[in-house]
Amino acid sequence: MSRKAGPVTASRTQSARKADPARRASAAPARTAGSAADDGLVGRAQGIAAEWAPTAARIMLGLVLAWFGYHELIQPQLWTGYVPGVTATSEFAIVLVLGHGWVLLMLAVAIIAGLALRLAAAIAAVLLLQIVITLTITGGLTDLTLRDVGVLGLALCLTGSTRQRAVLTS
Amino acid sequence: MRIAGETVGTRGIALLSVAALVGLVLGAHGWSSRHHGLPPAGLSGGQPSASASPASSRSAQPGTSPSASAAPAQGPPSAGTPTPTPGPKLSSQSYAAYSFVVWPGTPSPAAQAAETGLTITVHKQGTGISVAAGAAGQPLPAARYYPTGVKVYVIEASMGDDSGNSDFNLGDDGLVVTDSQGRILQ
Repeated sequence: MSRKAGPVTASRTQSARKADPARRASAAPARTAGSAADDGLVGRAQGIAAEWAPTAARIMLGLVLAWFGYHELIQPQLWTGYVPGVTATSEFAIVLVLGHGWVLLMLAVAIIAGLALRLAAAIAAVLLLQIVITLTITGGLTDLTLRDVGVLGLALCLTGSTRQRAVLTS
Repeated sequence: MRIAGETVGTRGIALLSVAALVGLVLGAHGWSSRHHGLPPAGLSGGQPSASASPASSRSAQPGTSPSASAAPAQGPPSAGTPTPTPGPKLSSQSYAAYSFVVWPGTPSPAAQAAETGLTITVHKQGTGISVAAGAAGQPLPAARYYPTGVKVYVIEASMGDDSGNSDFNLGDDGLVVTDSQGRILQ
């Protein structure tokens, strides 16, 4: 008995809905309003993302560059292992790291502030490409290399960015 | 001012100028301290290792001399040799969470990963052990002798600078030797 009770009840409910146009009519607008609200929410989120995602990308790339630039400047001796073709113990390697760190810091400031953004992002992309190539040659395709490939992609995206929020203007 | 088709205003120029100056000051600081800032145990030897594979050599034979490239081990301390003074407990240090036991026993996979780019040699010698550590591919400093019961830890704060068999930044690596009560000897 109890097994049959379920389907019968469901069937009754469906037939009751079919037989009650007023109820059906009231349910339809409710669903439409709900989906419209959903669409509105999604649309708003998409709008915010479209508006602010390039800015977030810009600031995050800038922070990455600033972090590496700062550490290369204050502790260059720890980064000379990355310099290709130069003895890590040489002072020339230290000078190269310091120069690299200074450029990274300048690029970071320019990118975060949105100053000549596409140019700065293009220079950053070139630097990152050099790093990716060097790491690939010296260590192969490793997790470290692939991580830099992701950052390189971020820089490449910003070279084509035309709409930015929160930039420093004159 | 236009740079490559993009306009940079006076505030932008001012900001970039300040950044350039700050970068120069930081660079001057980095240049002046280029011989400092090494790990306490002197693992990096002044430069990071970017090519060598992790190596850790252990000898269970008392008195066995280190093989091949290992540094000359010192014998048990003579009467005039100062014994290491115990410092604070390793567990009380901020880097305790990043320490991995190298000796005694077999290093865990995490410890082996932490040893990337380093050469750590531990040999039984007399009643104690001799420990030498340095950047892989670089000459090892002289081994130090410790009495029995000590533990040897490798410190690696971030595995993110290790790639394959290379450690590109030894600034977060270190070696710690503790006595039987966990107090830092080195």
